[in-house]
Amino acid sequence: MTALGEFALWIALPMAFWGMVMGFVGGKQERGDLVLSGERSVYIVFALLVVASLGVVNAFLTDQFQYWYVAGYSNRELDTYYKLSGLWAGQRGSLLFWAVLLAFFSAVTVFLNRRRNREFMPYVVGVLQGILGFFLVVLLFAGVNPFEQLGFMPADGQGLNPQLQNYWMTIHPPVLYLGFTAFAVPFAFAMAALFNGRLDSRWIVVTRRWTLLSWFFLTNGIIFGMRWAYEELGWGGYWFWDPVENASLLPWLTATAFVHSIMIQENRGMLKIWNMSLVLLTFLLTIFATFLTRSGLIESVHSFAQNTSIALIFLAFMGSIFAAAVVLILYRMPRLKSENQIESFLSREAAFLLNNLVLLGAAFAILWGTMFPLVSEAFTGEQISVGPPFFNRVNVPIGLVLLALTGIGPVIAWRRASGRNLRRNFLLPTLVGLGVVIFFLSRGVRDGWALATFGISAFVLFIILVEFYKGTRARARIEGEGIMAALVHLVSRNRRRWGGYIVHAGVVMIFTAFAGSAFDVEVRKALEPGDAVTVASPFGHTYSLTYEGISSSREANFDRWVALLSVEREGERIGAMTSERRFYRVNRQMVTEVGIRSTPLEDLYVILADVEDFEGIVANDPDAQRIMAEVQVNPLVGWIWYGGVIITIGALIALWPATEVRRRAPAEALERAQAVTPSS
Amino acid sequence: MKNRRFLVGLVGVALVVGYLVWTGISDTMVYYLTPTELVAKVSQDPSFHSVGVKVSGKVVPGSYAQEGEEDLLHRFRVHDIEHPEVAFPVIYRDVLPDTFTDDVEVVLEGRFGEDGVFHAKTLLTKCGSRYEASPDEMAGQEMVQ
Repeated sequence: MTALGEFALWIALPMAFWGMVMGFVGGKQERGDLVLSGERSVYIVFALLVVASLGVVNAFLTDQFQYWYVAGYSNRELDTYYKLSGLWAGQRGSLLFWAVLLAFFSAVTVFLNRRRNREFMPYVVGVLQGILGFFLVVLLFAGVNPFEQLGFMPADGQGLNPQLQNYWMTIHPPVLYLGFTAFAVPFAFAMAALFNGRLDSRWIVVTRRWTLLSWFFLTNGIIFGMRWAYEELGWGGYWFWDPVENASLLPWLTATAFVHSIMIQENRGMLKIWNMSLVLLTFLLTIFATFLTRSGLIESVHSFAQNTSIALIFLAFMGSIFAAAVVLILYRMPRLKSENQIESFLSREAAFLLNNLVLLGAAFAILWGTMFPLVSEAFTGEQISVGPPFFNRVNVPIGLVLLALTGIGPVIAWRRASGRNLRRNFLLPTLVGLGVVIFFLSRGVRDGWALATFGISAFVLFIILVEFYKGTRARARIEGEGIMAALVHLVSRNRRRWGGYIVHAGVVMIFTAFAGSAFDVEVRKALEPGDAVTVASPFGHTYSLTYEGISSSREANFDRWVALLSVEREGERIGAMTSERRFYRVNRQMVTEVGIRSTPLEDLYVILADVEDFEGIVANDPDAQRIMAEVQVNPLVGWIWYGGVIITIGALIALWPATEVRRRAPAEALERAQAVTPSS
Repeated sequence: MKNRRFLVGLVGVALVVGYLVWTGISDTMVYYLTPTELVAKVSQDPSFHSVGVKVSGKVVPGSYAQEGEEDLLHRFRVHDIEHPEVAFPVIYRDVLPDTFTDDVEVVLEGRFGEDGVFHAKTLLTKCGSRYEASPDEMAGQEMVQ
C-alpha cells in the first residue's frame, strides 16, 4: 500500500505537466481535444495523490518506521487519532497534503465548469496543473520525499511532539491549508482572464464563492491555531506575533482586502488592475506561508544554511509566477482601464478603498517586522529584531480603523454620500458608541485602546442591528409577513449582503475579545495541600482556589501528574479544576496541560507552573505535594471562539449556493428547449 | 487629473503606516546577538549594559539550578554555539517553557548587567516552535530481526 503510494507520486508528476502543457497549448490553438485531455489529467492526478496520501497514512497506522517521515513523527504507543494526523504533522507530509488538497479543488473546478466558462478552462487547467507540478517536483527532488527510507528499521519512532498532541492542532493545519489551496482557483481564473483577454468582471463572478470559501477556511484555520496556542502553550495568550503566525495572517489580510475590492469592480467597474494585483499577491502569500511555516527560515536564522535549497526553490517559484503575472498585467494594461473614478471621499468606494489600503498597510508592516532580522543583517551586518511590542503598536491603531470601517463601509452611499445619508446612518450609532465609552469610563476603565475598541464595537454592532431591523420591518410591511418569516426571506434574498453583516458581527466580537486581554489578571503562588490562592476578576468578583493535592498515573504514552483544586466564587463552591504535567516518555519531554474553566464572560486558567518532587508524588510521599500554581483570569477570551462561530454562520449563509441553482434552472431548461427546437 | 483622490488616499495611508512602522521599530527594536558578539560589544561600549538585547545560545549542561521558595528564580549558564568557551550566567524569573531542559538552545531577551549576569525578561526555546525531528540520529537503534 505504501509502496504503491510512492509509485503514484512518481506517476503524478509527468501527469501534472502533461495537463499543464495540454491546457496552455489547447487554449492557444483552440483545440478542444487537447483541452479535454488536460482536464482528464486533473482527475487522474487527484486520484494518484489520494493513493499517495493513503500510502503515508497507512505507513503511520502500521508503524512502518523504516520511513524517515514516520520514524520522525510517530511511535508505537501514539494514539491512532494522532497517527492519522501524521499526514500533516511535519514538512514532508504537509507538502503532499497541500498537493492533494489543491488536486481536489482542481478536480472540483474542472467538474463544475465542464459545460460553463469554457473560454477560461484551458488556462485554468494549465495554471493549476503547473502549480501542482511544482509541488510534485519539490516533493520528489528537494529532499523532502515523505516516502524516503532510513535504510534500517528502528525499534520505535521518535514520537509526535507532545505539544502537537492536541485536538485543535489536528484540525488547524488542514483547515489553513484548505484556505491556502482554495485560493489557487481565483488565481488561476485571473491568470486565465489575462491569457484569453476576457477582462470584464466575469472571472470575479465565477470565482466569488471560491474566494469566500478560501477566506472562510483561512479565518477558521487561524482561529483554531489561536485556540491551540491558548490551550497548549500554557501562557494564557493566543497570539505571540511569531513568524509562523504572521505568515498565516498575511494572506488573510490581503484576501480580506480582495473580498471587498471585487465588490467595487462588480458594482462600479473600477480597480481592475488593483484586483489583479491583489489576487496575485494573495496567492504568492499563501505559497510564502506554506514554505515559511515549514522551512524554519526566520526563527532559526542561525541554522539558515540547512534549509537553503528548499527556500531557494520556493523563492524561484514565487519569483517566476510574479514575473509572469506582472508581464501579463502590463501587456493587458490598456484593457484594464477603470470605467469610473472615485467621486468623493465620503462614498462607499472610498470606504472600501480605505479598507483595502489599511489592510495592505497592516500586511506590509507585519511582513516588514517579520523579515526585519534578515533585512537588517543584510544591510548593517547586525541582526535587529522586533517583537510583540512593535506589532501591537502598529496594528492596534490600524485594527481600530478597520473595525470602524466594518460599520461604515456597508451603509455609506455609493458615489457620494449626502449629509442627510450620513446623519441618518451614523448619528445614532455614534451616540451609542460614545455612550458605551462613557459607561466604561464611569466604571473605572482607563485603558484608552480598550475604551476605543468597546466604543467602536458598539457603533458597528448598532449599525448592523439597525440594518437588520429596518430590512425586516420593511419586508414584513410590504409582504405582510411575520417578523421571523420576513427575516428569513430578507436574508435568503441577498445572502451575500446579510451573510456579510453577520460575519462583521463576528469580527466585532473578536476585536472586543482582543481588547479584553488588557484586563488579564494573574497570580502565582507556591501551595501545600490546603493552601488557597485568591484572584480578583476585573468584573468585580473574587475566586478562591484551594489546592487539594496531586496524584500521578502512568498512561500508554506518558506519565502524568494531576493537581486538583477546588474553586470558590465569592465564598461559594462552584466546582473543581485540574491542571497537569505530562512526561512523554518516547519524546523525553515535559508538557503542561492547563486547566480552563470557561464562562461566557471570562476564563479561569490554571497553570501547574512547577512541581517540586515528581518522584515523591509517584511514591505517594505525603510530604512531597508542594507545587507552584499560576492562576489567571482572562476576560472575554471566549468571545474569540464565539466570534469564529458567528463568522462561520455568516460565511456559510453567503456561500450557500441555493439561490444560484434556482436561478440557473430555468436558463438550462430554456437551453434544452432551444436544443430540441429545429433550427431553420 | 484622473484618479487623484485614489493617489491622495494611497499616499496618506502609506505615510501613516510608514510613520507607525518607523517609530515602532526605533522604539522597540532589540539587537539580536550571539554571546560572543554581546560580550565584545559590552567590553567596547559599557553603556550597552543598559540596552535591551536578544541573545541566542545554548544552556550549559548541568548548570541549571532553581532558587527561591515563593518566587520562581532560575539560574543557569549559556554558552555560544560556535565558541563554547564564551559563556555567562543567566537569571530568569518566570515560568519556564515546557521544552526547556539544561541542554537546549534558548533565545533570551533582557539586559546584560554590570554584574556580568544576563537578566532575562523572556526566554524561548528554539526547537520548541519548529516541531521538526531528525530521525537520522536514530542509527544504532536498529531492530534485531
